Formats: sequence, C-alpha cells, structure tokens
Amino acid sequence: MGASYLAVGWNRQKKIYDWLIFGFCVLYLATFVVLTAIFNPDYTFETVLIRATSTLAVIILHVILSIGPLTRINKKFLPLLYNRRHLGVTMFCIILVHGSFSILQFHSLGNENPFVSLFTSNTHFGSLADFPFQALGFFALIIFFLMAITSHDFWLHNLSPKVWKTLHMFVYLAYFLVVMHVMLGVIQYETNPVFIIIMLTGSFTLITLHLIAGTREVKKDNVIYKLKQDGYVLVCDIKDIQEDRAKMFCVDAERIAVYKTGGKLFAVNNVCKHQNGPLGEGKVIDGCITCPWHGYQYLPQNGQSPPPFKEKVSTYDVKIEGTHVWLNPKAYAEGTERPGAVISVVNAE
Amino acid sequence: MIKPLRKKHLQIWVALAVLIPVGIISAWFSIPPAAKDKLLQPTSAVALPVVLKTYPSRGGFEFNIRTNTDTTQFQLEWINNKMLTYPTATIYETRLNDSNVQHGKLLGRIEARGSYYFMGDSTFIPNNISTYQLVLYDFIHQRNIDIIKL
Repeated sequence: MGASYLAVGWNRQKKIYDWLIFGFCVLYLATFVVLTAIFNPDYTFETVLIRATSTLAVIILHVILSIGPLTRINKKFLPLLYNRRHLGVTMFCIILVHGSFSILQFHSLGNENPFVSLFTSNTHFGSLADFPFQALGFFALIIFFLMAITSHDFWLHNLSPKVWKTLHMFVYLAYFLVVMHVMLGVIQYETNPVFIIIMLTGSFTLITLHLIAGTREVKKDNVIYKLKQDGYVLVCDIKDIQEDRAKMFCVDAERIAVYKTGGKLFAVNNVCKHQNGPLGEGKVIDGCITCPWHGYQYLPQNGQSPPPFKEKVSTYDVKIEGTHVWLNPKAYAEGTERPGAVISVVNAE
Repeated sequence: MIKPLRKKHLQIWVALAVLIPVGIISAWFSIPPAAKDKLLQPTSAVALPVVLKTYPSRGGFEFNIRTNTDTTQFQLEWINNKMLTYPTATIYETRLNDSNVQHGKLLGRIEARGSYYFMGDSTFIPNNISTYQLVLYDFIHQRNIDIIKL
C-alpha cells in the first residue's frame, strides 16, 4: 500500500482468471479464423484478423462495462470486479492489433503518412453515411491506451484517486465512440447481421443494467432518516445486518458502513482510501474489514489498516436500544478508536 | 465509490441512454438505399453460360461480359487474380468520360481474390456498351482507383 511501484502480485485466483481470459481470446480468434477459412477462403489474413479482433474487443468491452452494475445488483459478481482491469488491458491489446492492422491495410499503401491519411482521406464530416468513422475508432483507441497504461496502482497513487477516476470515466466516451465507429463503419456495408446484433444487444443490456443499478444507488443515498435523538438516527434493526458483514447508510454527505462482528457493531466511513471502493460491500476477513474491490483492510474498531500499512478511515459512534441500531453521523478523526456497541443476548433475540 | 461519483455515473448513463439509441437509429437510416452490402454478389451467384465480350487482364484483375443463350440477361464477371491493394473497392458503371460515380450506377463490391458476378442491364448490349465505362471506386478513401472503357 505504499506509493512506490510494486510489481503486480499474481495469486492463484488471478492466475486462473488470466488463463481463462487468455484461453477465451485464443479460442475465439481461432474459431473465427477457421470458420472464415472454411466459408470465405479467399479473404486475406489481415482482413480476417481485423474482423476477428473487432468483434472480440466489442464483446469484451460490453462484459467490462457490465461488471460494475452487476456487482451492485448481485454480490456474486464481485470476483469479476477484482480482476476487471486485467480484462481491460487485454481488450486494449486486442484493439491495438485491430487498429494497427486496419491502418496497415487501409492507409499504408499510398504515398501519404498512414496517420495523415487516416484523417485526410475522408473529410465528409457533414455526411452521416460517409462519415470518417475510422477517426472515431482512433480516438477511442487513444482513451483505452491512456487507461491501460495507468491501470497499475502506481499511477493511482501518483495521479490521486480523483484524477485517476476522472481519467477512467472517459471509458464512457470511448464506448460511445466505439458504438458510432461500428455503426457508421462496418454496419453501413456489412451483410452479416452478427455485428449489428452484438451492438444492439450489448448497448441495450448495458444501458438497462446501469440505469437499474444507478437508480437503486441514488435511491439509497437519498433515504431520509427521521427518528433522531441526541444526534443519533435510527437506521435499522440488528437482524438486518449479517455477521461479519455491513449495511450502509447515507445519513449526511457520505455513506457509513455499520459492521457486525465479534458480538459488536462498529461504524466506519464507507469509502476505501485506495480507490474509493465501498467498504460496506466487503466483509470481515481475519478480523479486518476488507474492501471488495482490491482487498485493502481496516480494523473495525479504529478504521486503521493493520501495520505496516498506514491507511485510515473515519469512525462513528453506534448504539443499540432494544433491537434498534442508532448511528451518530458525526465523524471522528480518521483512525480514532471507538468502543462499538455490544450486542447482548437479549438484543440478538 | 463516493456519492457525487455515483450521481455522475447515473447522469452519464441517462445521457448515453438517449445518445446511443439516437446514434444507432441515425446511422441505420443513413445506410444508402442501394446499400453497398446488398450489392455484394449472393453466394448462389453463378456465371451465365455465354461470354459476350472479353477484356484484357489489368494487372491483378480481369473481367468479362456474360449473357444467357437468348441474350435476355447480362452479367459482369469480375475476377480478382490477386489481392487488391484497395480492400474496400466498389464497381460503378458510368457514361464514357464521366468518372463521377455519383452520376453512375453501383454494380457491386469486391473484396478478396476470386470471381464475382453482378447482374447488368441493357447497357451491356454490344451496341450500347461502348458508350459506358467502369469505375473502380474506393469508398473508404472516396477516390477512383481505375477507370476502364467498356
């Protein structure tokens, strides 16, 4: 968790995940090449590669963009989130092959510099049918490139989470550019319906998932807690929180995670110091609240990362009356020890 | 994720929920009526039995005008002997000395090596054909690749 560069530590799960991604990509590309060789044997290798990589990249991009909302809708998808950046870098490599071979095939055979040709060979910006769609793909590639090279935690620390997150939000612009690159490009003259089916299904699914998950999250943020006493607000019943798990409450500006562990309730700020991950969606592992995004850990009683790490989050007071859980949204300084609220047998019943 | 970011995510997807369908529908309706894809030869296309006129090979390709036994149907047989250096080529038929494809008729699109068959009309009749030419047109780069007098 230091700010210096650390080599990526691949654990067993990450290795399995990466081999699965690699295996899927190889299988997809091989299947595409073999099917083309059978049904369209006269196509050149460059053409086959451009088409195979384009469809594969678009499929992976849709999977990547659906992981976020899926994890918010169902926690079973969380393992995919841990490794999302691996999928992102893989997709960038595939797009790079697609872009390189496209420029090679379409723009490197004349006297013009291929990159100059990319922007000057077609200047029909006013026409939708003849729009220079290749430029849209090029700009999307630049965004994916910036995201891929800054995907390591080294850049997250050095750019700060705010700048890093802003940069990575450009993925939505890149997605729109990809949609239009496909729609104004290959769809204008392609007979095979596979690509239009992928685009329609993919974009409809993504929009639906993001709107459902986003609306739910904003609703949670806007819950009004009416019952107040001595600065505390009534948030839930003890039974609403599972052992070693949390429930999140947005009482004021930001969410607070109330954890139930070891016969007590503890409240900490929901925002992980690493990448603003939702601590309340994690669980207690080895006595530490563990962020579901990248496994950063904090002690529930003081919000401090266990030594030698130095990350700290704010803590809050929580109390129990009967079976009701009361939370005081006034934050203590980051890393402040709090006693928590003891769950008695009577409370638990 | 922090609260403002959650709100921003939702706002972006609300905007995309409008922009993406508008973009897809606009692009779909912008496909020209004589779409280039529909002019790729059907897989079932076969050569008509009679060769009406043969033209000399031009480097990587050659072509012939074909017809049926009672000369009621006409066909352009296009043979790519080598891979074209322009992978996005279309064939237009235009009036002689008019190389503007917008004034001509799109016959079809060619891609890889192999033979292509495109149906023609009465302009392929021997008495008419000499007043026409074929324009090989690169629709990605929007320029003429070759002009061939018929």
